[in-house]
Amino acid sequence: MIRVGIPQALLYYQYYPMWQAFFQALGAEVVVSPPTARPTVEAGLARMVAETCLPVKVYGGHVCHLRELGVDCVFVPAIRATEPGLFNCSKFLGLPDLIRATVEDSSPLLEIDIDVGQGRGALQRAIYRLGWPFTWNPLHIRKAALAAWEAHLGFQALMRERKLTPPEAIEGSGGEGHALDSRCLPDTGSLVIAVVGHPYCLYDSYINHNLLGRLRRMGVRVITPEMAPAQGLEMGIRRLARFKYWVYEAEVTGAAGYYLEDPAVDGVIAVVVFGCGPDSTMLDVVQRAARRQEKPYMGLVLDEHTGEAGLVTRLEAFVDMIDRRKSARGSWEAGSMEKRRECA
Amino acid sequence: MRISVPYVGHLWVALRALAARSGLELVEPPRPSQHTVSLGVRHSPEWMCFPFKVVLGSFIEAIERGADTIVMAEGPQLCRLGYYARLHEQILHDLGYTHVRVLTFNWQEEQILGFARFLRSILGKERPWKEIVGHLKHGLEQLVLMEDVEKRVHYLRPRARDWREVNLIWQVAGPRISAALTGQELREVRRQLLAELEAVDLDPRADPLKVGFLGEFILVIDPFFNLDLEDELGRRGVEIVRSSWIAGWAKIWLFMEMLGLSHGQEIKKAARPYLKRDVSGEGLQTIGETVLHAQEGFHGIIHIQPFTCLPEIMAQNILPQVLRDHDIPVLEIIIDEQTAKTGIITRLEAFVDLMQRRRIREALAARRNS
Repeated sequence: MIRVGIPQALLYYQYYPMWQAFFQALGAEVVVSPPTARPTVEAGLARMVAETCLPVKVYGGHVCHLRELGVDCVFVPAIRATEPGLFNCSKFLGLPDLIRATVEDSSPLLEIDIDVGQGRGALQRAIYRLGWPFTWNPLHIRKAALAAWEAHLGFQALMRERKLTPPEAIEGSGGEGHALDSRCLPDTGSLVIAVVGHPYCLYDSYINHNLLGRLRRMGVRVITPEMAPAQGLEMGIRRLARFKYWVYEAEVTGAAGYYLEDPAVDGVIAVVVFGCGPDSTMLDVVQRAARRQEKPYMGLVLDEHTGEAGLVTRLEAFVDMIDRRKSARGSWEAGSMEKRRECA
Repeated sequence: MRISVPYVGHLWVALRALAARSGLELVEPPRPSQHTVSLGVRHSPEWMCFPFKVVLGSFIEAIERGADTIVMAEGPQLCRLGYYARLHEQILHDLGYTHVRVLTFNWQEEQILGFARFLRSILGKERPWKEIVGHLKHGLEQLVLMEDVEKRVHYLRPRARDWREVNLIWQVAGPRISAALTGQELREVRRQLLAELEAVDLDPRADPLKVGFLGEFILVIDPFFNLDLEDELGRRGVEIVRSSWIAGWAKIWLFMEMLGLSHGQEIKKAARPYLKRDVSGEGLQTIGETVLHAQEGFHGIIHIQPFTCLPEIMAQNILPQVLRDHDIPVLEIIIDEQTAKTGIITRLEAFVDLMQRRRIREALAARRNS
């Protein structure tokens, strides 16, 4: 049985159930690297130039780790466009090339080029080429691809309907996900804060110092881009930026546009990593919109040097500020602040 | 409608002539300066790239001179550049310049016919197509001449007895080419300029080092953005071979792609062992040209990029792999608004010394072997 390694980084949080279903249907064993930890980050840092963004360095670290787990190959996709006419960050466009150049001793890479702009035929050919090492039978590959698509749709519906984050949904479906701190249940919070950003910034609790867990422990109900309806995200993009440019724009501009308008949301936190090209453009658009809407907004910019203490202080200050603002408007539950203190 | 266009490379050499020929009201922003940079940096997102900030500053200066319409390139596959126009518009409106319109032109989808149509929509629908095509042709010819002269200047600077002589001709080349409003005049200016350059007194002992100048498009083509490194290197006896040219780029995008001819085949083939995919911008070109230059026996490569540039970070990550197979020194220069020229010059001088010593060492080794 071929062991396929999937790094638990970057697009893992968006597509893991799909990839898992595909490779399992082809009779492969799927191995996921363990959650990001200090050695993972260090392995990545040592291999890439300093200007590279943190999630990509982390990805490199995961690929290194997978080699130690003894996988036969590592799945590294190059995603050009998921809709015609869109553009992706250069790192996603050339991810396999980047990994080949920087992690020279990695296990062989399984590459696929996804470019929906090239048409249906090109996409199908790319999928067949990906499945080729596992089976000679194209019908088998076709079946695996359909199962993968099914899994992807189920995954998205699960997150939307039950208001789950991707790691929770992956864990629920038997994957390697890790649960967030559930000492305070998601629904008990009186404050609702939308956290927007790329999934690899929001759900990698090493990169963001367990931001979502911390917010929940403060008694905040956290909502994330995956919980918003797809049309809502599209509308958010149109409202803020007129038309879509980046492949992963929905989770930043779209979610921000949607949640900034939503009266049930008390504040918005945008989580980005330093040096992110797409986000450097989108964040500015979001910031301007937040100012117009007069909704509390905080942009958290993370990198490998981000100190935990500073981050926690900013989070507490932001939550307290929203709390006061709410209480001034007369909808404050008595004692909620003390409860939050105990939790944190 | 008073139109302005960013001050990048020699674009304005052709635009000044266009304004004079067609009566179009163009507002020329002042040459970028420290003031432009400060203006741009103050109003730009923090980690947008350096060209974005300077172009924004340049727009504000143009608006203060009376421009009310801005023309920018747009479209996907252009890295963040494709997003510039939208962000510039929002920032300018928030600054209170609500009367300013940003017109965009999508290079990749529309190519030469689209560009002619775009030009006609600005000039006025009543103008005959013949006139539009004439303007386009003249503008391109001016750019081509400007860059032909520049190539010659790159060649002569390290070989002249006194580089100042070359610079004197180069400084007035732009205005002279701008002033040539007819094909006849342009041919005359071409003849004169090339003759003057031919007459430059050469140093017979000169043996310049040959260096490839690669990286992000705007930084490579514009002396303001690259701190005039071409001049600094020329003075120090280094011949620059540049990879990006506006006229070359326009030719590729506007004509070749339409005809289905692709210029970059050789570059793509050279880059293939290291980078198989186009990562937008000049990432692929940087890798491919490095390989080609190494094979052609260049003495070194200067790779220049703005801080946080998406495609060039990819190239920078992949370059070490290229250098393992090809023995050629590379100097990385990353530019942002904080970059001081003095620091860069010191690094350049060290790099030139390094290349010279390598050359001597190789010559000695060759003599010993023979």
